[in-house]
Amino acid sequence: MAGLEIISDQGYRIDGRRSSELRKVCARMGVFTQADGSAYIEQGNTKALATVYGPHEVRKGRGKIQHDRAVVNCQFSMATFSTGERKSRPKGDRRSQEMSMHLRQTFEAVIVTELFPRSQIDIYVQILQADGGNYCACVNAATLAVIDAGIPMKDYVCACTAGFIQDSPLLDISYVEESAGAPFLTVAMMPKSEQIVLLEMNSRLHADNMEKVLDLATQGCKDVFAVLDRHVRDHVSESHALMTAS
Amino acid sequence: MKEVPMSTCEREFILKAIRDRKRIDGRQTYDYRRLKVSFGMERGCCIVDLGDTKVLAQVSGKIEEPKKNRPTEGSIIINLELSPMASPAFEPGRPTESGIEMNRILERNIRDSRAVDTESLCIVAGEKVWSIRADVHVLNDEGNIMDAASIAAITALSHFRRPDVSVMGEEVTVHSPEDRDPVPLSVHHMPVCVTFAFFDQGEFLLVDPNRSEERVMDGRMVVGMNMHREICTLMMSGGMLLVKEQVLRCSQIATVKVAEIIELIQRALDKDAQARQAGEKCGFAESVPTNKITTNRKEATAIDTTAAAQQASQVIQEAGPVDKPMSNMLVQAPGTVQIGEGLVNTWDVDDEDMESEEKEGREKSVTNGREAVATSKPTERKRPVKAGEGTVSHAEGSDSEEEETVMLFQGDDETKSTEEPDSTALMQPSNSDKPAKKKGKKKKAAQK
Amino acid sequence: MAVHITLPESRKKSAAPDAPKHLVTPGDVITTDTGYMRGHGTYMDDDKLKASLAGVVERVNKLICVQPLKTRYNGEIGDVVVGRVTEVGQRRWRVDVNSRLDAVLMLSAVNLPGGELRRRSAEDELMMREYLVEGDLISAEVQAIFHDGALSLHTRSLKYGKLAQGLMVQVSPSLVKRRKTHFHNLPCGASVILGNNGYVWICPTVDDEKVESSGGYEQDLEPVPSTDREVIARLRNCILSLATHKLMLYDTSVLYAYEASRQYQVKDLLQPDIAEKVADDTRQRLQMESG
Repeated sequence: MAGLEIISDQGYRIDGRRSSELRKVCARMGVFTQADGSAYIEQGNTKALATVYGPHEVRKGRGKIQHDRAVVNCQFSMATFSTGERKSRPKGDRRSQEMSMHLRQTFEAVIVTELFPRSQIDIYVQILQADGGNYCACVNAATLAVIDAGIPMKDYVCACTAGFIQDSPLLDISYVEESAGAPFLTVAMMPKSEQIVLLEMNSRLHADNMEKVLDLATQGCKDVFAVLDRHVRDHVSESHALMTAS
Repeated sequence: MKEVPMSTCEREFILKAIRDRKRIDGRQTYDYRRLKVSFGMERGCCIVDLGDTKVLAQVSGKIEEPKKNRPTEGSIIINLELSPMASPAFEPGRPTESGIEMNRILERNIRDSRAVDTESLCIVAGEKVWSIRADVHVLNDEGNIMDAASIAAITALSHFRRPDVSVMGEEVTVHSPEDRDPVPLSVHHMPVCVTFAFFDQGEFLLVDPNRSEERVMDGRMVVGMNMHREICTLMMSGGMLLVKEQVLRCSQIATVKVAEIIELIQRALDKDAQARQAGEKCGFAESVPTNKITTNRKEATAIDTTAAAQQASQVIQEAGPVDKPMSNMLVQAPGTVQIGEGLVNTWDVDDEDMESEEKEGREKSVTNGREAVATSKPTERKRPVKAGEGTVSHAEGSDSEEEETVMLFQGDDETKSTEEPDSTALMQPSNSDKPAKKKGKKKKAAQK
Repeated sequence: MAVHITLPESRKKSAAPDAPKHLVTPGDVITTDTGYMRGHGTYMDDDKLKASLAGVVERVNKLICVQPLKTRYNGEIGDVVVGRVTEVGQRRWRVDVNSRLDAVLMLSAVNLPGGELRRRSAEDELMMREYLVEGDLISAEVQAIFHDGALSLHTRSLKYGKLAQGLMVQVSPSLVKRRKTHFHNLPCGASVILGNNGYVWICPTVDDEKVESSGGYEQDLEPVPSTDREVIARLRNCILSLATHKLMLYDTSVLYAYEASRQYQVKDLLQPDIAEKVADDTRQRLQMESG
């Protein structure tokens, strides 16, 4: 992009971060009463809301019933006011369908679905404000919501993006950096075992640089995990104390 | 229609074979099936055969108004069509989830990696640009549609020629092909997808899974790459977990595979260009071999016979020399069989009979020989990906059966010399075939 | 429209409790000792016992499980539940009990009106809709658990059966304390059924003799006097305020909350600050008594 410098000479990015620095992560668990689990997350200016229902009886589409495990159903949507230009379709276009599918695949891999045969788990995610890393915010929010709902999962799933701009890897790409056309990698992984659940890459990246970017993204996921874990622990110990006090 | 579920026994068999590092169609772990690229009469139309998977791509262009935020860029639309014709598992109408995913991978691989220069598609900034649309239709799904579709799409895009356009002041003229030669799109690089299938929680991986392997696999990873070793897209998902090393290994394997595929595409494109220049016949009709049974034809596959050969030689070694027949047999008179002593031979032996028997035996060995030749053919025509001219393009059309059966052993040396040294071991026909074949050949020579 | 504004209040944090010792989150290794048994909320991964839920580790002899804060209802035999009929099927009703699968109430597991015990005939099968239709609320007991986790219910006692006039509140199942009895006739003039599944039923007190004669299926549709209704409404708000502030629900806590709320109007209990005060008062009183 002409006239836009992604990294300054001093090594700072447009929003003042260093190259391997995450944006500020704020999270809340249990934001709704109706859902079995819910969470809200802010990663910089990207804001996402996730709710989880289930496991519950499969109400519509009995054909989906799996006799050995639960069906995971995901729906991703973007609020019409989430982007710079007003979105005409909040959901149902190809991008969101793809996103829904990726979320489903991610959570099918980590939720211990074998424990709930013939039932269904719904995960609804909405982006309230999009500023890059939508998928990551969704995954992180949904992870918190699933934990809040008390659905067993093998590990956290944390997601993070990493890009490669001006010959250096950058962590947690914002919208401006995303639209600069440089390659970026989206990784969802289980941070404790470093197992990758989902990997996606856009644009051109030389194979030799792959490792560097992947390493950075891994580090990013672990950082995200540290933040999320702290939130979960705070939330659990607080509620637990209240419950045992009475 | 919902797909019929696979039987447990078949599933287990395939998995067990994979664990033993074998594949049901006899390929090696990193082998592609036979790849063939052929072109239609019209520009921008191509069919890709990957084993039995068949994908057709057609590129078309029209002039339209550009998007507001990109006034100087044309657009590339890629549409993947999974019709129920290809497989009963595909529903007509709305695209399925997997269809959308593959479509997005294609888009990302070709459009988002800027393989085709969109700025050169601009005619009048903000008013008229070319909109190029690539329709990729899956004709037959025998596994790994993704790779076939990506090859078809990029090949068709590089094969396509759009009409030349000139701008004189306000006036825009689209020239007919007779008027001015159509111009090709500017293709910067050719990204091609390589699909890896994972089994046993990522412990085993295969390249180019076929239909049955796809149904057994845990998950897959698609790596889109170009000649310059740049990864254009990377997609891994679906119920399995990998570690970083596996991802990096896949990208390394992809590098090799992509180089082979692109070389093949390039060769096919060149051949087609030459054919067109020379005014020879081209099109799909030409690519179908005439006077030949095309159905039930078995495609050549590479078979690793080293293990079998080794085993055979071991057996021979262990067996040692055959015991000599007892030499102290007493023969009373020619043609007599003696049970007691001094009895007259009652066995009716006829000389002619013996001769006819011998003849029969001989003929049998001749047919045996033919069979042997036929069975040994696959070993002969290995090299599934970088197979010789015959496999690359229809234009050559040299795989005449007759020729091959006769030329077999003369041609052998030639092919051997072009092979890498390590693969010569694979070329060795299995031991059991050898004597029969030689015999057959000798007989043939005698008959001639 | 009146707007209610409360000033921020400097609230004393109730003696910042120390984090419980055995707090785990998904993926945490609980123990590498293979001598333990794997319970709820845990899984084995190469000889390590790991948590799959966020919660507190509990150990009973060799059995290790993780107790989550909030889940769907996990049924146990003998639990009292309140449920809603979702489907009338072949010789059975399907009942939503906030579990992961709908519970089943077999025709053979109900007391037919009149309390007669006899073989269920084909006519009874046709009359099923006369007893219970979709949307009806029932109270029942868990009779058995199927292998897929679905519950089988029975109403073979006069205290169970169809619920008539009253109000249902939904809370988290983990907030309902397991007690000997879950049916309470509160002295304030209403009855409460604290279902183990987190469904709480509040209704005007009925005398037992009446129930006995009706067999639990005749619905009393007499209008409830407004004083009773006010009590029911107050109880509902109290229970909700206890639930939002994570107090365990049982007869004493509900009663204390009711008493603590007496100084406010029923509608004021909906305001978050007052709800919190009620909950805090209840908590203090409970702590003092246990204390």
